[in-house]
Amino acid sequence: MMSLEVLSPGSGIALQDAGRVGWLRFGVPRGGAMDRHAMHAANRLLGNPSASPVLEILMQGARFRVLEDCWAALAGADSCPALPAWTAVELKAGQVLEFSAKASGLFAYLAVSGGFVAERWFGSVSADPRSGLGRTLKKGDQLVPVARNPQVSTQGVARRILRDEERRSYAPQESFQLLPGPQFADFSNQARDGFVAQEWVVSPASDRTGYRLLGGAIAVPDSIRSEPVLPGSFQVPGNGQPIITMVDGPTVGGYPKIAVLQDADRDRLAQCAPGTHLCFRWADY
Amino acid sequence: MDIALKAYGETGILAHHLSEPERQGLGRALIAHQPQGCLEYVWGDDSVCFIFEQPTSTDELSKWLEKINMAVGAPLCGELHEVPVVYDGPDLESVAAQIGLSIDEVIGIHSAPTYTVRMLGFAPGFPYLAGLDQRLHLPRKGSPRKRIEPGAVAIGGSHAGIYSVASPGGWHLLGRTEWVLFDPAAARGSGPDAKKVFLFSPGDQLRFQPVR
Repeated sequence: MMSLEVLSPGSGIALQDAGRVGWLRFGVPRGGAMDRHAMHAANRLLGNPSASPVLEILMQGARFRVLEDCWAALAGADSCPALPAWTAVELKAGQVLEFSAKASGLFAYLAVSGGFVAERWFGSVSADPRSGLGRTLKKGDQLVPVARNPQVSTQGVARRILRDEERRSYAPQESFQLLPGPQFADFSNQARDGFVAQEWVVSPASDRTGYRLLGGAIAVPDSIRSEPVLPGSFQVPGNGQPIITMVDGPTVGGYPKIAVLQDADRDRLAQCAPGTHLCFRWADY
Repeated sequence: MDIALKAYGETGILAHHLSEPERQGLGRALIAHQPQGCLEYVWGDDSVCFIFEQPTSTDELSKWLEKINMAVGAPLCGELHEVPVVYDGPDLESVAAQIGLSIDEVIGIHSAPTYTVRMLGFAPGFPYLAGLDQRLHLPRKGSPRKRIEPGAVAIGGSHAGIYSVASPGGWHLLGRTEWVLFDPAAARGSGPDAKKVFLFSPGDQLRFQPVR
C-alpha cells in the first residue's frame, strides 16, 4: 500500500509526532511537531491517536502525487487548495496535492489513516537532520499510511470538518502572556519594562531550533553557568535581542532567560512567520 | 537539606546553585528513582531541571528532596578516555594572542589536565568538560560560527568540549579528533542503549593526546 509520492519537498517537509522524551540529559532535544494543536486536530479528524506520525509541511512549494485512494486530513496553515485546513477528505489516485497557497501560518500538518508508517529514533519519528535523527524526505520518496481506512465511519461521507472553536487562524500580529524566566530577577526593571513595552518582529533567521526577535535591544545581565533550557524560553544573548528556544533547540545554554511562554502558546508562536509582530505582557503570577 | 528551587515554565522546576555534594547526591539518587510524575531531568553545570507531566509545586519537590541522602559517597567514577587530537584549530592563534602565550603553550595547557565529563548537553552527546586551566577561561566568540564540524575540540567559558554533531557554535576551536561521539544509527527504535549511542557518560575522565 503506497499512497503518496513526494514530487517536491518545497520549503521543507518532515515526519513529526510528539517527539522524544527521556533523552534531554544526553543533549537530545525533544523535537516533534512545532504546532501540536494542529497535529492533534489533523489526527482527530481521522480518528487517529492524537500524536500519530504526520507530515509537517513548511510554507509553500511541497507537492505530492496520490498513488491510491486514501483519506487525509489537513490542519494548521491553509496552504493546499485541494485539501482545506481543518478538514478531512478522500484523496483520489492520480490527484496531485499542491501546497501552493500563500497562507497565514508557517506549518501545515497532513495526517493519513492510522498515521504514516515510519521508523523511530529514541522512540520518535521526528526528523532532526542536524543530529542525523529521522528520515530526510526527498523527491521520489513514498509515504505509506498505517491503515487503509480511518477509524471513523466514512460511508457516504464527503468530508469531515473540525468545529469552529477548534480551528485557529494565524494573524500578522500576536500577543502572548509570559511567565518570568529563571533569570527574570537578574534583568533590570528597565530591561523588563522595555521588553514588554515594545513590539518585536520575528526574524527570517528563525527555524525549528529558535525564533529570533528583532527590536530595540534590552540591557542584558552577565552570562550564567550553563543551565538547562526548555522550549519556549526567551534567552537574551549579548546583543539584547531575544531568541525563543523551539523544540529542536539546544538542551543547555549560558544566556540568561528573561521569560517563558505558557505551554499551550508554543503552538501559536510556532505559526508566527518571519515578519509577524509580537507583543508581550507578564501573566499574573 | 536546603536546595534552592524555582519554577521554570509551567511544568519545569529548576534546582540551582547546587553545591558539589548536593549535585553528587542528587546524581546518585536520580539513577535509582525519579520524583513521582517526573518525565525526565536535565543537568546544568550547577543545576538540574525536573520536568513534570503536570504542573507541580516546588513544595512537593522539596519533600522528595528532603528524603535524599546527600551524605558524601563515592563520586561517580567513569571510564578514562585518551582522546587523540590534531591541534590545528582556526582559533589557536587568537586564543594564544588573547592570553599572551605561544601556540605550543596553549596546546600544552589544554592537553595537560585530566578532565571530567560534567554533563552531556547542548547537542546530542556533547560533553561539557570540567578541569580547564584557568588561563584558558575565555568568553565565547562575539559572533558564533554558522557551522562547526563534529569532532571539533573547543573551549568556551570555564569548559572544554568536543562538538558531537555539525552545529553552529561560539566556542574557540583548538583542534579536532576523529572519534565519533554520537551514533544516530544506534538510536533507532524505542529504547536504544545509551552506552551504544553516546561515547561518553557523565563522570567519565578524559585526557587529550596531541598527535603529529
